[in-house]
Amino acid sequence: MPNQNSPTRYNAVAQAFHWIIAALIVTQFTLGWTAQFLPLGARKVARLDWHKSFGMTILTLAVLRLLWRLFNRPPELPAGMTTIEKSLARATHVLFYVLLFVMPLTGWMMSSAKNYSVSWFHQFTWPNLIGPNEQAFNLLRTTHDTLSWLLFALALLHILAALKHHFWDKDDVLKRMLPFTKTEKRS
Amino acid sequence: MKKLALAATSTLIIAAATAAAATAAAADSVASFTAAAEQSRLEFAGVQAGAEFKGVFHKFTASVEFAPDALASSRIDVQIDMNSVDTMDKDRDTTIRSKDVFDVSHNPTAHYVTKTVTKTATGFAAVGALTLRGVTKDVPIEFQFAPAAGGAKLSGSAKLNRLDFGVGQGEWKSTETIGDAVKINFSLVLKPKT
Repeated sequence: MPNQNSPTRYNAVAQAFHWIIAALIVTQFTLGWTAQFLPLGARKVARLDWHKSFGMTILTLAVLRLLWRLFNRPPELPAGMTTIEKSLARATHVLFYVLLFVMPLTGWMMSSAKNYSVSWFHQFTWPNLIGPNEQAFNLLRTTHDTLSWLLFALALLHILAALKHHFWDKDDVLKRMLPFTKTEKRS
Repeated sequence: MKKLALAATSTLIIAAATAAAATAAAADSVASFTAAAEQSRLEFAGVQAGAEFKGVFHKFTASVEFAPDALASSRIDVQIDMNSVDTMDKDRDTTIRSKDVFDVSHNPTAHYVTKTVTKTATGFAAVGALTLRGVTKDVPIEFQFAPAAGGAKLSGSAKLNRLDFGVGQGEWKSTETIGDAVKINFSLVLKPKT
């Protein structure tokens, strides 16, 4: 498969993966963090029902996105970046990919451990990954919660870095992921 | 010759009458059983947030009078300890026992007793009165009866709608969160009543 990204821009597929998953993650934080404060009841069950359906959507998209990423190299980072900056940027992105899998998987396992099978928008039910186990549930919930903070911090860093590249370094790092914009051809 | 024929005929009549009497006696005789608690299971499956969940009742007693050729006098009577509900999650079990769902403090037991038992193509069917959360309604069941060493096995299933019995008040009335239909599965290991 040829590389579909241009040397200076992410193409439409890569951009779609990025922005759809970004929007879903914002939705997930809203649903997941607010559900914690609801008393055990029908409203909480309903909110977590959406959270699980969106989470499984993210997991499915993460699989497709990783496959896509394996065959399509991203555009080169600006030449002006130092080696350390490039390594940091790469590490951040690897961690994003890891969390794209680990967050839904720990969530799915949490549901399995609590014997609450995961439905996908009431269309079908995903199989349970592990059997009912209260101790496993508590451990998984702590992991899922802690990693949500890590993801939040990482997203913040990611956004600030993109803005720094755009406004401080004045390079095309932000623009190449933005739809409806153009990036200059590098000489 | 005529005498002989008469004698033969009367013998036949006596034989037929004896056979009929024996059948009539059999029709009234059902075997009495109780379910062995350790080996018997009473399960249910509901739908929560679009996904099926299963639960069991650990404590229940069943008294069965049954004979495949005496269905008119056959009867299944089950008492269920609603507190013994177990869906393998403490939070859900607490909710299920609460006032809005099973309301176990006011309705600690559920009771099912059959009214009619009939033969079907594949086994047996019965219609019985189920008293659940203070509401009594007819619920049909389908089951198989298999004699076994030292007793028999009775297994089958039923379907009911939880809202018919008021199981789910207030916020738990919504069938979007918790489905109305509930499946029941039972497998009773029967021992002769002593």
